[in-house]
Parts: sequence; structure tokens; C-alpha cells
Amino acid sequence: MSGGWERVRSTRSRLSRDVSLTGRSSTSRTVRLGRVQPQAPGHRTIHCNDREANFPVRFKGNSISTTKYNFFTFLPKGLFEQFRRVANCYFLFISILSMTPISPVNPITNVAPLSLVLLVSLIKEAFEDWKRFQNDMVINNSPVEVLQDQKWETVPWKKLQVGDIIRVKQDGFFPADLLLLAGTNPDGVCYVETANLDGETNLKIRKALERTWDYLTPEKAAEFKGEVQCEQPNNSLYTFTGNLIIQKQTLPLSPNQLLLRGCSLRNTEYIVGAVIFTGQETKVMMNSMNVPSKRSTLERKLDKLILTLFGSLFFMCLIGAIASGIFINRKYHYLGLDEGAPTEFNPNNRFGVAALTLFTLITLYSTIIPISLYVSIEMIKFIQCTQFINKDLHMYHAETNTAALARTSNLNEELGQVEYIFSDKTGTLTRNLMEFFKCSIGGEVYGCGITEIERGGALRSGINVQEVHKSVSAIHEKGFNFDDSRLMRGAWRNEPDPDTCKEFFRCLAICHTVLPEGDESPEKITYQAASPDEAALVTAAKNFGFFFYRRTPTMIYVRESHVEKMGKIQDVAYEILNVLEFNSTRKRQSVVCRYPDGRLVLYCKGADTVIYERLADGNDDLKKITRGHLEQFGSAGLRTLCLAYRDLSPEIYESWNEKFIQAKSSLRDREKKLDEVAELIEKELILIGSTAIEDKLQEGVPGCIETLSRAGIKIWVLTGDKMETAINIAYACNLINNEMKQFIISSETDAIREVENRGDQVEIARFIKEEVKKELKTCLEEAQHCLNTVYGPKLALVIDGKCLMYALDPSLRVMLLNLSLNCSSVVCCRVSPLQKAQVTSLVKKGARKITLSIGDGANDVSMIQAAHIGVGISGLEGMQAVMASDFAIAQFRYLADLLLVHGRWSYLRICKVITYFFYKNLTFTLTQFWFTFHTGFSGQRFYDDWFQSLYNVIFTALPVIMVGLFDKDVSASLSKKYPQLYKEGIRNVFFKWRVVGTWACFSVYQSLIFYSFVTISSAGGKNSSGKVFGLWDVSTMAFTCVVITVNLRLLMICNSITRWHYISVGGSILAWFIFIFVYSIFRENVFFVIYVLMSTFYFYVTILLVPIVALLGDFIYQGVQRWFFPYDYQIVQEIHRHEPDDNSRAGLLEIENRLTPQEERSYAIAQLPRELSKHTGFAFDSPGYESFFAAQLGIYAPQKAWDVARRASVRSRPTTSKKN
Amino acid sequence: MSNNTASSSAGANGSADSAAPRRNSKRPKYSRFTQQELPACKPILTPRWVISAFMLVSIIFVPIGIASLFASRDVVEIVDRSETACIPAQNRSDKVGYIQSSADKTCNRTLRVTKRMKQPIYVYYQLDNFYQNHQRCVKSRSDEQLRSRSGENETSSCEPEDVINGTAIVPCGLIAWSLFNDTYSFSHNNQQLQVNKKGISWKSDRDHKFGKDVFPKNFQNGSLKGGAILNTSIPLSDQEDLIVWMRTAALPTFRKLYGKIEQDLLPNDEILVTLENNYNTYSFNGKKKLVLSTTSWLGGKNDFLGIAYLIVGGLCFFLAMCFTVVYLVKPRRLGDPSYLSWNRTPGGR
Repeated sequence: MSGGWERVRSTRSRLSRDVSLTGRSSTSRTVRLGRVQPQAPGHRTIHCNDREANFPVRFKGNSISTTKYNFFTFLPKGLFEQFRRVANCYFLFISILSMTPISPVNPITNVAPLSLVLLVSLIKEAFEDWKRFQNDMVINNSPVEVLQDQKWETVPWKKLQVGDIIRVKQDGFFPADLLLLAGTNPDGVCYVETANLDGETNLKIRKALERTWDYLTPEKAAEFKGEVQCEQPNNSLYTFTGNLIIQKQTLPLSPNQLLLRGCSLRNTEYIVGAVIFTGQETKVMMNSMNVPSKRSTLERKLDKLILTLFGSLFFMCLIGAIASGIFINRKYHYLGLDEGAPTEFNPNNRFGVAALTLFTLITLYSTIIPISLYVSIEMIKFIQCTQFINKDLHMYHAETNTAALARTSNLNEELGQVEYIFSDKTGTLTRNLMEFFKCSIGGEVYGCGITEIERGGALRSGINVQEVHKSVSAIHEKGFNFDDSRLMRGAWRNEPDPDTCKEFFRCLAICHTVLPEGDESPEKITYQAASPDEAALVTAAKNFGFFFYRRTPTMIYVRESHVEKMGKIQDVAYEILNVLEFNSTRKRQSVVCRYPDGRLVLYCKGADTVIYERLADGNDDLKKITRGHLEQFGSAGLRTLCLAYRDLSPEIYESWNEKFIQAKSSLRDREKKLDEVAELIEKELILIGSTAIEDKLQEGVPGCIETLSRAGIKIWVLTGDKMETAINIAYACNLINNEMKQFIISSETDAIREVENRGDQVEIARFIKEEVKKELKTCLEEAQHCLNTVYGPKLALVIDGKCLMYALDPSLRVMLLNLSLNCSSVVCCRVSPLQKAQVTSLVKKGARKITLSIGDGANDVSMIQAAHIGVGISGLEGMQAVMASDFAIAQFRYLADLLLVHGRWSYLRICKVITYFFYKNLTFTLTQFWFTFHTGFSGQRFYDDWFQSLYNVIFTALPVIMVGLFDKDVSASLSKKYPQLYKEGIRNVFFKWRVVGTWACFSVYQSLIFYSFVTISSAGGKNSSGKVFGLWDVSTMAFTCVVITVNLRLLMICNSITRWHYISVGGSILAWFIFIFVYSIFRENVFFVIYVLMSTFYFYVTILLVPIVALLGDFIYQGVQRWFFPYDYQIVQEIHRHEPDDNSRAGLLEIENRLTPQEERSYAIAQLPRELSKHTGFAFDSPGYESFFAAQLGIYAPQKAWDVARRASVRSRPTTSKKN
Repeated sequence: MSNNTASSSAGANGSADSAAPRRNSKRPKYSRFTQQELPACKPILTPRWVISAFMLVSIIFVPIGIASLFASRDVVEIVDRSETACIPAQNRSDKVGYIQSSADKTCNRTLRVTKRMKQPIYVYYQLDNFYQNHQRCVKSRSDEQLRSRSGENETSSCEPEDVINGTAIVPCGLIAWSLFNDTYSFSHNNQQLQVNKKGISWKSDRDHKFGKDVFPKNFQNGSLKGGAILNTSIPLSDQEDLIVWMRTAALPTFRKLYGKIEQDLLPNDEILVTLENNYNTYSFNGKKKLVLSTTSWLGGKNDFLGIAYLIVGGLCFFLAMCFTVVYLVKPRRLGDPSYLSWNRTPGGR
């Protein structure tokens, strides 16, 4: 079902915010009006439940059609589409020209191939449209329950009419835009999922008017007779105005009562609604638009090639035309060139002769433009998409049951040339799942998991990592992926420092702003936290035996196990005195709590930098060891927090608390004052340890990124996250490591903050711009310095959204581009969707590199559309990104398959197809051209009309398609094992002018061989009875040689030859012979030529000689090239020449894990220490209190964490119970 | 990396778990085609292959070349260029005027046989600089008309030699109009050598392209005569000179078969040729040659094929040697990873 919605896309993305806002103010007012207002124009009046009354208006039905054509428009519209292509227009022109008397060839020569090409294209169009039609039919015929005679009758969607009363059950889709009348939920509320519209998966609330709540049962609903007056259909998803007139009451309607087609019903048994807009008039259909169609870079270059061909065509014709004007002379009396000769041969008008001959020659040489090229490429790409990409088992994700999907078929080869990847973070690289992974307590590391990045690193340095077997009892729940028997089940009591452990756990259990929800048992409780980090920490505490189960505004209740004694469980209530909440400047969070025994403690967690500044003196060993651990965690890609505590004496606390209350109640600069007060007490802390949370990456991300970067692809992460998080993920993904030189351009510097505090917008802008400029300049200088040294470190750039805004300014853009292009990875954090698109087009347009954007959410749409190739992550609920994308894959790691395997092959194949087409047509046309010199430049054709027209479409068409489908230089696994092979695509090695030039040279050579060998050797009597050949004998001979050679030449460009190659090549040559055997019986001028030819020895001797001589040049070239200047893929082929084909995947595992000596060497160099590690991996997300709570409660986002906690703890129960 | 592998292999072995397919599974079905795993042969152009290919070609080509060359050398050919010699010395300043005049243009030539010529000896005339393949010429014929009587009036393509006084010319068109009209007769020791003019055209032309019921009509009746006149009582299918002439030549230099002498000629035989020099090649400086030639299995004298075979065979042998030498002097180990571009450039970025 959802397949049908994929094409439906909305332009807006900010639906949820609007809806949650409107959802909040959903109080229906009842306005009484005496009379029904007459219907204003531009309004529609709908009589609910009354088909007769609606009949005169003739509303549109509910069937939709997304097809491009219908039965009648297909031909004209389809043809029009075809002739928008220049090549087709050209051939139309040639065809018309060939109908005129000046044409040397039969019009059929040009009309036939053109018709064939058009036919194939039209069939393809028809096929695609048919599939769309079937899709529509599936949607149109899906069942819906409509009210008829007080009963729910099931009818197909398309039968729905405006005004019908229908019932939609839970998880069903709304078949049209509905007016919500009633639902099974008590307060007329229903929940709607809009993922099909905007990709957002949170539920939205719709509320029926109180007046209509009762119309729930069929009997009751049948009584409903209302009249809806509303706006005409439009495409605005978030607005709706209208009135419901029921029993002479006029009730205003808002978007709140409108259920849009394409959304689905959730958490509600069923609803009853009246149809307002149907079919094409629904808002979602009115929003559907076509994705801007993208053309591949290669195709644009192909256009240039075609233009060059046009140029050479014109040049050749010009030579011929001028020469014909000179040649024509009355002395050739046998030509009958008397006064009455037509203009084209009239010696008195040499200019006329030249001009007309020009046109004659254009029709004669028209074969130089390969007419079937476009249609062949289209066919190849279509099959590549539908058969190879969509059906690749390597890109099938079993968990989400999603296969890859190529949504456009014209970008396949672009996938083989991508140089920059722009990736979203959340949902693309990460799963947005935080798991407590490791910790360091009192100088001891606990937790024996290994992150993927550690595994990768170890693998590279040659250590074989044994996967630690999880102990059987290991607990793995959401947010907790920790296993160390030393801590679990109270075993921590036997550790050297159990007291510190206790503090550690209490800190986790107390110092947070999490809300418990559900039953107060460890199994059933769920934690509602603003950030998944916090939930993970509290979950961890729970698993360590410090189960936080209840929160009141002033108390936190923790069920502590094994504290006093193993096995003992005790509920402890801690009084929370103060919460010093987290913000990005403080980078820490503290709680002052009072133990039941009166002990006053301040627990603090935060970034290592801020905590270390505030530690009490002494205990340097612990600090040093812990710092080491932090670095270790950080480089393993984990997010760290330092935990510390401070025992407070009542006196100190009381005096401080006074100041705190004062600050809290101050009206001006409260924030700043609170921060200052916090400083007073957050000092002389005692370090407990640190936590390490894994921001769970999507499977295989670091490996994939590493592979891609070895392939010469640069990966940029564009994320809305904070800088620390972004850097952390960059570490986790191996984008940044400690050997890299990092440039960080951040707006979070003291200087900028100071200026910002002054509040003068103009000044802020000016200052930041200056700062950014200064930063860019110094960075660029350093970068250049680094690049000039041979073994300089790789570079990485981290920039935040605010700075980026200024750096994207036209005056700084070049500098930014220069800097970022020199960096092997770039991380942009805190960027808006628009900036994502800007950065993408900066590289796309500024650097003219091929870019790919990958993302999963609505905020990535702009970037996906801006890049050359947009890739959406599918399989999740949101469809917005997928709908805007060109390719959809289920996991980031499939990018390796998509680019390195499919993209690379596609690029190679298309290059081969294009150059081969170019070659075969040029060769063929040149033989014709040489002949012109021997016919007095009269434009006499060398070949028979049908030879010429079938050359392209039959005798040489199929084998090249086989190459386009089956050719592969190295197998899929080797493509991934040697990602560097991909660089050939980035450098566009196989479709340079040099390559084309080489082919052109061989074309000239071969055509000369064909023409001269055949003509020279055919002079004189040519069989033992002394008979001589005529023109058609010679040309048939030459044509035979051309067909054989060109087909054999194809085999020479193949890297792998399947039996389809043999069949098609053999078949093409055979087709020629069969054709000529039959054709020469019927056709006058070539009558019996093939039999005549075959009765001579000359035929066989020549047919052996000419193709071999023609191919000799290519053969020598290929031999020399391979021997002395081998391409990378050729070396790889040779390395693995003895290995069986890639069908044996079992052996593959070993191959991939084993490194070649070169790889080992290069990694050994990479592993040499460069710079001391500095990254410690602090990151703590507390984003979106708003989104989090607003979605929960429909309340305005509270500003302070503390308020959240307080408000949440007193909130009403019903909402919670609804969740269960 | 390892993870990639694991997942990919899981995907491949996944056919096992698809044994219990879930309903609605979108898992693509495995087929060798869609997984692009069709069995294929992967030729690698190794030096050994290159050298062997060259050797093979030279081994095949040299014998064929020698055979062809011998065949060509076996052919005895006498060529006599006659266009200037056949014009009386006093007329040589105005050859065109002479040829267009009505003077007697008989001319005698003497040929000396250099080698024994076995019968049949083929007599050809060769024209030079004669664009029979000019578009205007090629187009200007009517195959329908030639084939059968019913197509007599199909003269639309024959312009300007299509109709005269409203009735169709048979055969129409420029190409027929310009039919070659020199005649040759040979005598040896005052004995007439019979020239057989039967069977000089391809049988297929005779039987199918020129009708037995088509007789020349209105031919060369116009003000300007292009060439030979046809006997109106003989059907076109028997007018072999016309049939030969109508098989358009490919190049502006061409030979056409005139007839056969079915008698052996011995070395030093002197043959007297009586030539009626009618055809005007003078206006466009075309040469005229008379050729007497025997044939071999390969046809007439043409060294080109033999030489080409020998040269190519020789060249391939030479190349094979060159490659062998290079292979021995500067070998490249197959699959040497140090040739990989990322190993050649330091840093390998």
C-alpha cells in the first residue's frame, strides 16, 4: 500500500510543529447563526450523507491516476517527449531530408531506425506507465467501509464520493480527505501518523467537534445530515477553513478535524468521517510533484561528444560539397550534363551543386550519429536498475525487509564517479540509540565490550581480536550493553574500592532529569528522558542495583540492592535540594541531595574539561589514570561523561542556597547569575570516574566509511547535532582520528560569546565574520603547509552552523572551498536543512565534483535534491527522504555496494557502450566517406539502403547491450576489496577525450583498411572464369568485413565473456548473413551478390585478411597498454586470475580479512604515533525538550530541565495509561 | 570491513533462511542474472597470449600469402594502352574532334605474348577516370524495365535518357546510353582468333535481371549518341556486352570482360589486334587499355592479396619476436601489486 504513496510527496516538512500547536488549542466553539449563508464562489458545499444533493455539483471521484498518459494522449504526448531529445530531432530532420530527391538513399534508410528507436522508447514508456496504472489500480481498489442503509458496506476506494460517511479502522489509511466526525476514543480524539506525508513518525492528534461525537454507530451515523462549506481544494497541508452546518448550527472547522489522505490511523479503534475532498483533489495529491529530473554528468559529456560528431559530420560534408562543386564538369559526357541537368549536377551553377551536395552528404553520412545510442543506454540503465540494483541480495536488509530501490534510472553511472558524500548523522550513521557500554571507576576500567572502531583498528594493526563471549547472564536491554561480572549482581562489593563504586552508582541514579513511567518494577519501568544518554545512564544504575523508580518534585526514590549486604534490598528516598541544570556553556549538571541520614552531597556529571578544572587537589594518580581512560574511550568512539561528587557541610550549603534562591528569583540576567552561583559550589569535587556510552552506529558504518575513503571518496557529515556529538561520531565512524590534523571553526568561543552578550546584531555579524575569516585564513595556511610536506597528516575540518553561515558568504566561499577540499573529512554541525543544501551545492557547483547526499529524514530532503545523487535511507517509517531521493537503500553500509560495485560497473559499462558506439558508427561512416572520393563527390552511396539502416539496429545492436549488462572487470568482492579501483571513475579515466581520440584513430585506421583492401583487391577478374565485380559486390564485401570486425572488436573490449556475448556476437554476424542470403534474392541492385561473392575464393581470402588486419592495430595497442601501462583493474585481474569466480562466497571471507603486504605496510605507517591523543569523547545530548515533551503532552516546551521534571511528576495519569 | 563481509556472506547464504519465506518478504529472489554472477570466461591479455596470437597469425598468413602470390604470378597478363596510339598523329592535337568525327577509326595493334597462355584467355577493356559510379549514373537506370516487358514504361528514374518522342527508351538511362562501343578482333598468323562473347556476364544477371522478352527500343535514337547501338532483334538477356556494362563498376578505374579466346597462345606469338576506336574517353582524359589475361583459382592477376598476407604475416612474426625480446629483457610479473596506482604514489591518498 505504501508503495502508492511514494510518489506522493509534500513540499513542506514542518508539519508536526504546526500540528502540535494546533492540537493544543482544540476547543471547539459553537457559533449560532440564524440562516445558512449562500455559497460564495470559491467555496464548495457538501451535503454529507446525501448523494443526490451532491450530484448536481459533480465532484470528482476518488480514483486517482498518477499515469503520465492515457489511451488517447499516449501517442502524441509520448512522441512529443521523444522529440525533445536532440538526437531524435536530428534524425527526424534527416528522415525528411531523405524524402527529397536530393537524397542518395531511400528514405527507409533513415525512417526505419528512427521508427524502431521511437518504438522501443515508447514501449518502455508504456510499460512504466502501465506499472503506474497498476499501482493506481491497487490503491483505487483497496477496500473501505462506507455507510449505506445503516450498515457499513465494503467498497473500493474509487467508489467513494464526496459527502459519503465512512469508517476507518486502526492502522488503516484514509482514502480521501475526511472530516473527522467521531472516534472510539472518549474525547473525540484520534491519533494520526503522517509518515507518508512528511516522514515524521510521531503521532499527531486530531479532535472531532463535540457536536458530532455521537455519530459512531451505523444507525446513529445514518442520521447525520450535515452540510459542509469549505474552501476549494488546494495544496496547503496545514490549513483548512470551513463550516459544518448541522441542524441550523454553524460550527467552524479547522485543520484539526481534517484527516488527510495518505495518513494512517493509530491508537484508535476506528473513526467515522465524512469525505470532503476526493481523488486528485486531496491535499496530498495536489502536493505531488515530480522530482527535478537529474541528468548524469556522463550524459552531459556525451552531448558534447555528439556535438563533436555533428561538427565532424559537417566538416566531412563540407569537404565533399566543395569538391563536388569543383568536380562537376561537362567533359564527363556520359553523365548527360547538358543544359537541362538538375541543379545538383548542373556545371553552370557550381555553388548550387555544392549546396545541394552538402545536404545529400548529410543524409549519406547521418550514420555517424549513433541513433540507437540513447535508446540502448536507456535500456541498459533500466535493466541495471530494475534487475541488478533492486534485486541485489547484498543490499537487502532482512530486519526491515527492504531491498534497495533505484527510483531513477538515469544516474547509474554517476554512482561510479562520486567524490563527495554528504551524510546525515542521526538515522543514517547512527541508530539514535545510546547504550551504556563501559565505565571507569576509581581508576579501573569496567566493561569488556569492543566497539566496532576498536575492532577495525586492531584488525588493521594485525591483532586478531577474539570476540569476547558474553557471559550467559549478561543483560542487554535498551540503553544498556555492558558486561563485566566484576560489577554485576553486587559483585562490585568485592572490588578494591567499593565505596567509590557506590558513589558512582548513586551519582548515576540521582543526578539526572529522567522521569520514570509505568510500573515501578525494574522490568516494566520505562524512563522518559530528554536525551537518550540520560536514559542510558539511569538504566545502567538500575542494572547495577540502584533502581530509580519514582520521582516527586522534591524526592528521588532509589531501590538499592546489595549495598549494605549482598542480597539486601532497600528503598531509599533522597531529597533533591537543588538542580543545576545542563547547558552548553556549563557542560555539566549537578544535583544537591540529602541522604535520609542527613548527608549532603553534590553529585556532578559533565565534560572532562570542566570537571577536571573543578576537582579538589590531590589524588593525581586517579586523575591521570582516569584521563587516560577517557582518551581511550574517546578514541574508541564512545561518548564520555565524568562523574564527581562533593560532600557538603550544612553551613556551606545553607549560605550557598541563599545565594542560589536569590539568583533564581532575580529578574534580570537570571541565567547568568545562576551560572555564577553554580560555580560557587561546583568546586573541590572528588572524581569518581567516568562513563562511556556508545552512540550505537548503524551496522557496518565504520567499515563502510573506511572502504569508501580508501576509494578516494571524501565523506562529510552534516548534522544538526552539537559539535561535541558530531566530533564524537566522526571519531566513531573513523572519519577523524588522532593522527589527523583538525581544524575547528566554532562560534562557541569566548570572544564571540562576549560580543553576542552585548546583543548588537550588526556588530555580532561583523565580528563573527571577521573571526571566521581569520580562522579560515590561518587554517588554510596551515593546511597548505601540511600538504606540502610529503608525509603530512591528513586534515579534518569541523565547523558549526553559525560560522558556516558566514563562511558561505560569497567573499569567503572560495577560501572555505579551498580549505575543505584539502581536508579528507569535514564535519558540519548545528546546520540547518538549508545549509546542508548550500554546502552540497558549494561543492557541486564550486568544485565541480560529483556529490552524493544520503539521509533519512525530512530535514535531508533539500540536501538530497541538491546533490548530483540523492540517496534515502528506506525501511524506516519516514518516507520523505526516500521520496526525494534517486536511490533508496536500507542501511548506510550498502553504500559500499551501491557505489563500489554497481556504480563502478555501471560507469565502466556505460563508458564502454558509448565509446564503442562512437567507434562503430564512425568506422562505418568513414568507409562511406572514403568512397565519396572515388565517385566524383557525387554522394553515391557505397552500401545498400537497408545495409545502412540495419547496421545500427540489427547487425551491431545486441552485443553492445550485452557489454552494458554483463561486462565486469573484477568481481563484486574484489571491487570492495580494492576500493581504490573506484578512483578510476572519479578521475573519469574511461571517458576522457583522450580515450575518445584513441578510438577515433583506430576508426580511421580500420575504415581505411576496409575500404582500400577491399577495393584494391577486387580489381580485375575475380574468379577463375574471369568475370568482374560490380559496385555492389565490392560494397557487400566491405560491409561483411565491417560487420565481422566491429563485432569481433567488441569481444576485445570485454573483460568477461559470458555465453550471451558469444550468442549475441555470433548471432549478429549470422543475422547479417541470413539477411543478405534472403535479401539478395529480392533486391535488384544487390541481386545475388552474396552468392556471386561466395562462388569466388577471393571472398574467403579477403574475409580472413581484412578483419585481422583491421584488428591488428587495436590488438597491438591493447597488448602494449596492458603490458607497460596497466590499469589498476588489470593488475587486480592478474592477481586474482587463478581464483574461481565470485560464486564461491565462502572463500571470500578469508580473502577479505587478509591484508596484502602493501596494505599492511601502509597501515603500519598510519599506526605510527603522531600526536598525543587529545580527544576524550565528551558528548551529551540534551536536545529538544520541546519535541520530546510537546509530543507527549501537547504542552509548551518548558525552558528548564527542572521544570520538566516537576511538571512531569505531577502530570495526570490517563495519558500514561493510554500508552499501555 | 569484516562486518561488511559477514553481512554480504550472510546475504549470499541467505537462500537457506529463505527456505521458510515470510509472507510479503521483499527479499529479491536469487538468480545468477540479477546477482550478476553469470559464468563468464575472463580472458587476460598476458604477454604469452599476445605472442602466441601473433605467431598464430603469422603461421597462418604466410602460407596463404605465398599461395596467393603464386596464383597471381601464374597469371599471364598482356596490357596494351591504346587511347593515344590509336589516334593518327595528325589528329592528336584535337583528339575529341577526331573521335567525334565520322572518320574511320580502325586501328591496328600488335601484341607479343611473353609466356605461354593457356585457354581460355580473357579479353578485358579497362577504362580510367570513368565515373560509372557517379550518383547520376548509378541512379539512371530502371531495373523493372530491364527485367520484363511489362515494366517498359518504368522510366521515371532514367532521366534524362528516359523517353523519346513520348515512348520509352529500352534500355533507358544514362548508364545504358553510355554503353562502351569499341570493338576488338584478333588474328594470329593471319588466322582469325575467335572471340567468344557468350558467358561473359554473371549468370544471375542474365537469368534474372535482364528479361528474355525485353528488346531494345528507341535506343540511341536521340540527337546525341552515347555509345554502342544494340541489335533490336536480340533480347536483353542475350546482350551480354550490355549486361557486363550495366554491372556498375565500383571505382573510376575498372575492367570489363569483353570476351574469351578459347585457344592457347605460345610465347613470342604475335597477335594482331584490329581495334575500332569509337568510344570517347578523350574529353575527360580517360585511358583505354586492352587486357589479355589468363586466370588462376584466385582470379586474374592481382598481387595485392598475396603481398598483404605476406606483409601481415611477416609483421606479426616480427612483433612476436619484439614482444618476446621485451618480455625477456624487461619482464613484468603478472599481477605485481607494485604496479597498482596507489602503491606507486607515496602516501596513497
